[in-house]
Amino acid sequence: MKNVIASTMVFMMMVSIVGFVSPREKLVSQKTHISFFSSTPIEDITANNYKANSTLDTQSGEVIFSVPMQSFEFEKALMQKHYNGADFLDTKNFPRSKFVGKITNLSEIDFSKNGTYKAVVEGEMTIKDKTNRVKEQGKITVIDGVISAESTFKITLADYGVVFEKGKPASNIAKTIEIRLVGEYEAE
Amino acid sequence: MKITKSLKIIIIVAAVGISIALGAGIYMFNMPHRNVQSAKIDFAVSATELVNEYLAGSQEADEKYLDEGGDSKILEVSGKVSKISRDYNDQIVILIKDKGAKAGVSCTLLVSSSALGDQITLGQEIKVKGVIRSGAMFDPDMNMYENVIMEKCDIVSKI
Repeated sequence: MKNVIASTMVFMMMVSIVGFVSPREKLVSQKTHISFFSSTPIEDITANNYKANSTLDTQSGEVIFSVPMQSFEFEKALMQKHYNGADFLDTKNFPRSKFVGKITNLSEIDFSKNGTYKAVVEGEMTIKDKTNRVKEQGKITVIDGVISAESTFKITLADYGVVFEKGKPASNIAKTIEIRLVGEYEAE
Repeated sequence: MKITKSLKIIIIVAAVGISIALGAGIYMFNMPHRNVQSAKIDFAVSATELVNEYLAGSQEADEKYLDEGGDSKILEVSGKVSKISRDYNDQIVILIKDKGAKAGVSCTLLVSSSALGDQITLGQEIKVKGVIRSGAMFDPDMNMYENVIMEKCDIVSKI
């Protein structure tokens, strides 16, 4: 009888400990696709990147993207060279861009139930040495336990110190470009 | 008569000059991407050595490996296969990471070498050639180590 009581107590204690120490809910994505699109009457430019890392904490709503800037591939080699150069994104000195933010409507998202949920994300975006506060909308999709996130938003290049005043870049590159991102997450 | 002759020469020289400039411009505009696999290897290192070099000093490592125009160094990296996956572009990604290492080297194979990926198994020792895109680092926000990133990779040898 004593043994039964003792084991019950140990069991109860274990249940309460598990209850207090909730499992970590950090998800990691190394399967991502980020593209950007610039459109002017003269030329459309697009570039793709499949090497960003991202984490998503389903409990706190924290979302982070870390983007290796030299992984953007352009159709034309010359464009890629210009993009990487010191006058544009200066990727040698700033090899990664970063977004650190939080989902602000976390209560509307059920990560354990299949569905597509609207997500509002607020945070800070750092490109080169400039950081700006951004608020964007995205989508979280849950399909049989696989969670993915996607968003399409615009950024103004001048906000990040990328300015073209004259020459071909000024006429061929849009001042505001569209970014599309998607990431599929798995447990850490 | 003399003026006409010099004028002729000037016109010819100008025409040749313009043609060269135009040709160079067209060539530059349509310049092909560097062929990583046919270029020579700049450094041969083990995955762990490369990761440790970055963790010891990322600025020095970036200075050594990254290029201002994006034509960064071509590396031959060796180590153990710890993960095989596919990206959104249907390219095979091999993570070379030794047991106990803080980070590894994530190599995206060229589409043309994707078939090779099926012949690779976990735990196998391999050598991969490709271009480095960014280094390894600890990211305090994500609270994890980020791998070295290499692309346009091909498998040099399986050991």
